Amino acid sequence: MAERVARLTAAMDRLYEFDREPVALDKLQSGGKFAGLFAGEHVAATEFVIGAFFVLHGVGARDLLLGLLLGNLLAVLSWTFICAPIAVRTRLTLYWYLRKIAGPGVTLIYNVANAFLYCILAGAMISVSATAVGLVAGIRVPGLGAVWPTSLGWVLVTAALGAAFTAMAVLGFSKLSRFAEVASPWIFVVFIAGAVAMLPRLGVSPGLENLWAVARVKVWNGVAAAGQEKFGLAHVLFFAWFCNLAMHVGLSDMALFRYAKKWTYGLYSAFGMYPGHMLAWIASGIMVAAVGREMHPGLMAFEAAGIAGVAGVLLAGWTTANPTLYRAGLALQTITPNWPRWKITLIAGGATTVLACFPVFFLKLLDYVAIYGLVLMPIGAIVFAEHWIFPLLKIEQYQAEKRGWTFNGAALGVWLGTLGICAILPIHLYFRWLPGWVLALVAYTGLMAWKGER
Amino acid sequence: MSSRLFRRISGGLALVSLALCLAAPVAYFLRRISEGSYRKAFLLASIAWFVLATARALTPDDGPPPG
Repeated sequence: MAERVARLTAAMDRLYEFDREPVALDKLQSGGKFAGLFAGEHVAATEFVIGAFFVLHGVGARDLLLGLLLGNLLAVLSWTFICAPIAVRTRLTLYWYLRKIAGPGVTLIYNVANAFLYCILAGAMISVSATAVGLVAGIRVPGLGAVWPTSLGWVLVTAALGAAFTAMAVLGFSKLSRFAEVASPWIFVVFIAGAVAMLPRLGVSPGLENLWAVARVKVWNGVAAAGQEKFGLAHVLFFAWFCNLAMHVGLSDMALFRYAKKWTYGLYSAFGMYPGHMLAWIASGIMVAAVGREMHPGLMAFEAAGIAGVAGVLLAGWTTANPTLYRAGLALQTITPNWPRWKITLIAGGATTVLACFPVFFLKLLDYVAIYGLVLMPIGAIVFAEHWIFPLLKIEQYQAEKRGWTFNGAALGVWLGTLGICAILPIHLYFRWLPGWVLALVAYTGLMAWKGER
Repeated sequence: MSSRLFRRISGGLALVSLALCLAAPVAYFLRRISEGSYRKAFLLASIAWFVLATARALTPDDGPPPG
């Protein structure tokens, strides 16, 4: 067993060898690059679903605006005060920093968990694109409560799209990523254009006099759809905050911010949050209200922008599923030493395609996003404690690296223990990560201090 | 035409087509054009964006002019 873990971690190290050394000062990037990167990354296919779900969950108009303003502000501040400072001080990716702190065994588990979660996310994006193709092919989109595939047609469309996306990911990531750069500003425009074009259907007058009244009565009217839980300000605020939890509090965006000149570059995340996680969510809310509150991204975009809208949904799914598949493949490659990248991307794509056939992943996307962040959040707390709190309390840092531990038992125990406690906390799923983060921080610090005293 | 100039022109025109993508729904919202015209304009401006932005992305930047 120990030998197997050692072999796997050696393979994993080879895979990430290219970013083993801290970023050199001459490789640092300008703030404009960060603004562009965030702006391009946070307008995805899932935005069609998330904004629409706020309407179906009966969020009021004022709660929505306030929740998105504050929640996204907290997300930006999390990037700025939690993720970016550690990245700028270490100039390392989370992978290498976690390896020093928790040992290569825990890093391996983290990678596999991350790969699995990426596959589900990519699957949800494929499902969203499938609603666009399904609309053209006349296939019914599964209803809100659907868990299993509802028709052979749905399975065929998602499988065909999954196969196509996987094939393109296998054939070459770099060229496709350049196309994604071209597509992303246009996809954002599809959201805005779609929402503006739907306003007459909702009865908004050209002078905009009744815009707020229509927003309150016809869009975010505070009435949840049948079978949907009622959401309020706190739900929206927390959702906007934790939507990228794995990236900011979970620290996976250290990979990005290690290229930042200053930790204040975290503020550039606002270029992704406010257009993508505020305007695009508002736009998709307007679109779903205008199509009679039917959760059907393909239909929403078609009604709003015609055939170009359908292409927008398809492209949004593809351009965001593609890098997600790539990342899943990269993470999975750690457990399949010597396999070529194409083969592991094919496996990840196959698994993703199967998952995409199950509509539950896109119809329960909000809960899935919460679980995704929750699962990876304790690792962020562990790294935060080791980086900032240990020096203050004179606890020895990087013991796993110094003593050659494969598994830092305290880190693994705190990770799993925090998840166990979060699973039974008697509060809404969306609010569990915050006490979980504090718990992981305190528990890991306490355990390592106790270990040091022994 | 140098590739630098081509990048500038195609980039500028791409931005114009993206602006047209936004102008079309606004014109429809203001009741200046019909829904059919809006959709057609949006589609054409979108195609123009992809052609021009892709052309710009594929053209190598030959750096600043000498001197």
